[in-house]
This record gives sequence, structure tokens and C-alpha cells, in this order.
Amino acid sequence: MSTLDVAKKDFLDVRRAKIVWFVGALYTMFMLLLVYFGQNNRPDPSILNALWNLTAVGAMFIPLIALVTAYLAIAGERESGAIKYLLSIPNSRTDVVLGKFVTRTAVVSASILIAFLIGGILTLAWYPSPEMDTFALMAALTVLYALTYVAVAIAISAATASRSRAMGGSIAFFFITSVLNVFGPLQLAIDYLLNDLAGLEVSLNQIMFVQSLISPTAAYVNSTGLAFPDGFNTIPPNLPWFLQGETMLVVLLAWLAVPLALGIWQFQRADLG
Amino acid sequence: MTAIRTNSLTKRYGDSVLAVDDLDLTVEDGEVFGFLGPNGAGKSTTINMLLDFVRPTEGSATVLGLDAQSETDEIRHRIGVLPEGATLYDRLTAREHLEWVIDTKGTDDDPDAILERVGLSPADGDRPAGGYSKGMAQRLGFGMALVGDPDLLILDEPSSGLDPTGMQEMREIIADEADRGTSVFFSSHILGEVEAVCDRIGIMNEGRLVATGTLDDLQGELDLGAPISLEVESVPENLALEGLDGVRSVTVEDGTITATCAEPSVKVDVVRHVADATTVRDIVSEDVSLEQLFNTYTNGGRKEDAATTEVTA
Repeated sequence: MSTLDVAKKDFLDVRRAKIVWFVGALYTMFMLLLVYFGQNNRPDPSILNALWNLTAVGAMFIPLIALVTAYLAIAGERESGAIKYLLSIPNSRTDVVLGKFVTRTAVVSASILIAFLIGGILTLAWYPSPEMDTFALMAALTVLYALTYVAVAIAISAATASRSRAMGGSIAFFFITSVLNVFGPLQLAIDYLLNDLAGLEVSLNQIMFVQSLISPTAAYVNSTGLAFPDGFNTIPPNLPWFLQGETMLVVLLAWLAVPLALGIWQFQRADLG
Repeated sequence: MTAIRTNSLTKRYGDSVLAVDDLDLTVEDGEVFGFLGPNGAGKSTTINMLLDFVRPTEGSATVLGLDAQSETDEIRHRIGVLPEGATLYDRLTAREHLEWVIDTKGTDDDPDAILERVGLSPADGDRPAGGYSKGMAQRLGFGMALVGDPDLLILDEPSSGLDPTGMQEMREIIADEADRGTSVFFSSHILGEVEAVCDRIGIMNEGRLVATGTLDDLQGELDLGAPISLEVESVPENLALEGLDGVRSVTVEDGTITATCAEPSVKVDVVRHVADATTVRDIVSEDVSLEQLFNTYTNGGRKEDAATTEVTA
């Protein structure tokens, strides 16, 4: 099983990369701050509010963890030529893409789960009603969300021949699907394209669905209905089926599988000169 | 069985660059084959096609009788490769590199024995490869190629970065491997390097295989000449060195006279002739560099339409 041979060696390598642990530690710090200030000097502290704020922070920060961990996985080795050692021994190109995905997944998942574990222990200690169900579901959704960006970063890395292009591609993808989504222009752009230009008269809900297809960040934010109680904060009640959490899970899974498949396809065609 | 065979192998980049042009090459089983040519001649592109790093535009190749594109897994189990200009994993130690290759190939080699074989100490073996000199990295890369006692070694510029001792040691290991029946295919741009170990050589130039044969045969066939340079106090007029028997051409530059002789034995006549006319400060007698070889071959009025000169050994 040489996917695992690739993964095993890559894990030895990547776990010694300090930048990866740095961004992971930063996320853990956000978690600690939010959990701490969520209960500090408040008469009726709610962990749900702290988790809600964490989702907002994570919407843009989680992709950064994932992209930083994964964008150089393959392109970096193509630029340095190390990929030739990798492919001179019995590894296929598919093994390389999948093996890299496995290790970067492990590293990103570990850093998110450590953050949630520490946050969870403090929550049990500090909050009157710890809401561990929501906590666990949010941890799972956040890991899945991170993996969609790992898959995208691996795909970009597989399709580019140099560090600079992989970085450019990753930043562009992050900016469009995460930053522009969080601050609103993505939704406005879809509205403009579909309603003003094409005259399709689609509803806001339908726009939000298209937005989720374009942006894993949107799909993640819309999926949090699965973890929080109905109607919590800004989660609207009576959502149509295509904006329900379950549908968003399917969208997120597609964001995992499709980029990987495209990455493998591109990498298999590439000349590694 | 043949170790390597290519049929009309061609690689084009875009419309203008023809990296490898209609290459027909055969390396027999058990043979040590030197693949020569100046930088940019298409050697690495050819090797990259044999290893399926680069896909041919036309033609095909087999390695150990297996298709280079569709049977890569089996090929990669049975060959050892030292790629050119590839960096190692900075954060992994030499031992971790070797263990990784051993695991992936599924062999039971002893990493320490391999380290010793390529001249790395156990202490070197425990250091991350990021701190290695180019020569040490090359030794480790060579060690990784030796894992699993491969049937064929493909070495791309194996001596780059090595000092003379390292080059000598590498040649000895290559000779050892050849004695054990391993076929060796290695590229180089240094002619002298292949002399000691190769059964046969092939010369690439501008994407084409311009000659194959044993080194002796090729040197005879290409009629390289033997150059000698003399640094003199003053260049005498009417030296008439060209008139000397066996002197093919003469150039004079900044007080240095360079003569190309048909036979090395003519060199002494050149030295005598010049010494009679002026004071000789220094004498440099060099082997023919590959670049000179190519100049001789392509500019010396020996252009042949049939670009491949097959010299039977």
C-alpha cells in the first residue's frame, strides 16, 4: 500500500515544519480567548455564544491553517526536484496525491481537535451548562470544513509546477471563497449575475445555495444549524431543504472529493521535467 | 532481454523546442552504458521519459522489457535511480531516507550497510539532510538508488558535486554493481569520467543521438586530435608550426600557442619546435573535453546526413 508509504514519510517531514504548528497554536489561542471571555464577568455565561463567535473566527482562519499546511505539499517537491526521488521508487502519482492528502489531513485535524479538546475541558470547568453535544458536533463540522480546504490546497499543489504559483492559486481561492464570502461581495456578485444580468429572479435562499456551492466557507456557516439549537442567533427557522444542514454536509463532502479527483487527474497528465 | 530500448522516442515542448528527436537507443542487459552530451543535449529529458516523469510526444520506450509508461510500478521495484538536481528532504535524516526507500520497495536492506557503502558515517546518517554538502547529498542519493539490489541503475550526472575521491569511490561501486550483473545507464557531460567504467557510450547533441560505440572506437572514428598549449615569453613570427608533420591546427592567443595534433606523440615535436624558437614558460597537455569533441564532430567537415554512427565493438 504505497499511499501509506508516501504518507508515513511525509508525516515525518511535515511534523517538523514549524509554521504548521504555529498556525495550529494560534487557532488554539483563539479558542481559549473566546471560551475565557465567554464566561468572564458574565452573570449567565453561555458556551453557545462562545462557539458561535468561534465559528465566525474560524470561517476565515480555518482555511488559512489548511492552506498553509498543504499548499506546498506537491508543488514544493516539484520545484525542488524531490518529487523525482518520490516517483523513482514504487509510488504512483495517485499515491503521491492521496498520501499527501492523508498526512496534511492528519496534521490539520490534530491541531483542530487539540484546540477543541482544551476548549472542551475548560468549558466543563467554567460553564454551568457545557452543551457538549454542540461542542462535539462543531468540532466534527470544523474538521470537515478544514479538510475541504486541504483538498483544494492539495489539488492546487498538484496542478502547479512551482511554489509561487501554488501560493498564488491558494491565496486567490482563499480570497474569493472565504474573504469575499464573509464580507458579503460574493453574495452580491451572485445576485448581480443571476438577477440583474441574467434576469432569473432567484430568491435569496437560492442565492445562498449557489454561494454554498461556490464557497466551502458558506457551506460551513450554513451547516452549523446541525450543531446549534433551532433558531439560535441568526440561524433562520424554516429553511428550505437545500439550505438544511444535511444538504450542506453533502456539499462539503463534494468539496472534499471533487478537488482531489481534479488534482489527481491534473497531476497524472503533468510533465515533471 | 534488453535493459533499455527506445523506439523513435521524441519529445517536443511547444512548437519550437525539440528536446529529443527520434531517438533509437538500445542498452543491453548487463552493460554499463555512458550517456554523454553537453548540457541541454536532451540527456535528462530522455531519462525523464524512461522514468515516466515526462511523456513522449512520439515513440515509445521499454525498461527491463517493460513499457515505460504503463508498467511503472514493476519498473520502479526493479530499478535504482539517482535523479539529477533533485534535493533531498531537508528535515529527514539519511537513515530515515533509506528506511523510507527500503519500506516502499519492500526489501530488507540494512541502512547502516548502505551508509557505509557510499561513504557516509553513522553520525552523518543521523543528521537531517538539510545540513549536507552537495557531495554528501549525492552519496545519499546514490545509496537510495542501491536499495533492493536493482537490476538496472539509472544515474543522471552521478558525479556532480563529488570531489575526486568521491568520484573515484562512485566509479568503484558502479564497477562492483556491474560485476554483479547489474546494468548501468548513466549520463555525464565529462568524457573522462565514463572512460574507466563504460562498456559502451552514446553521444547526444541537440536532441539527437550522434554516435554510439565503445570509447576507443568513437575516438578513432571521430578523430579528435590531441591538444597541447604552450605559454611562451614571446610569440615568434614565422613559427610555421602548421607545417610540422601531424599538427592539424594552431591558434595563438595572449602569448599562448595551442596546437591540435593528430596523435599524442606529435606533442613532443611541437614542444621541441617552439622551444627552439622562444622560451617556453609552461606546458599544458589536456584531454579532449566533450565540448571540443562536439566542435570537432560538428564543425570539422564531418557532417553526415545519417547522424548516427554505429561503431561495432
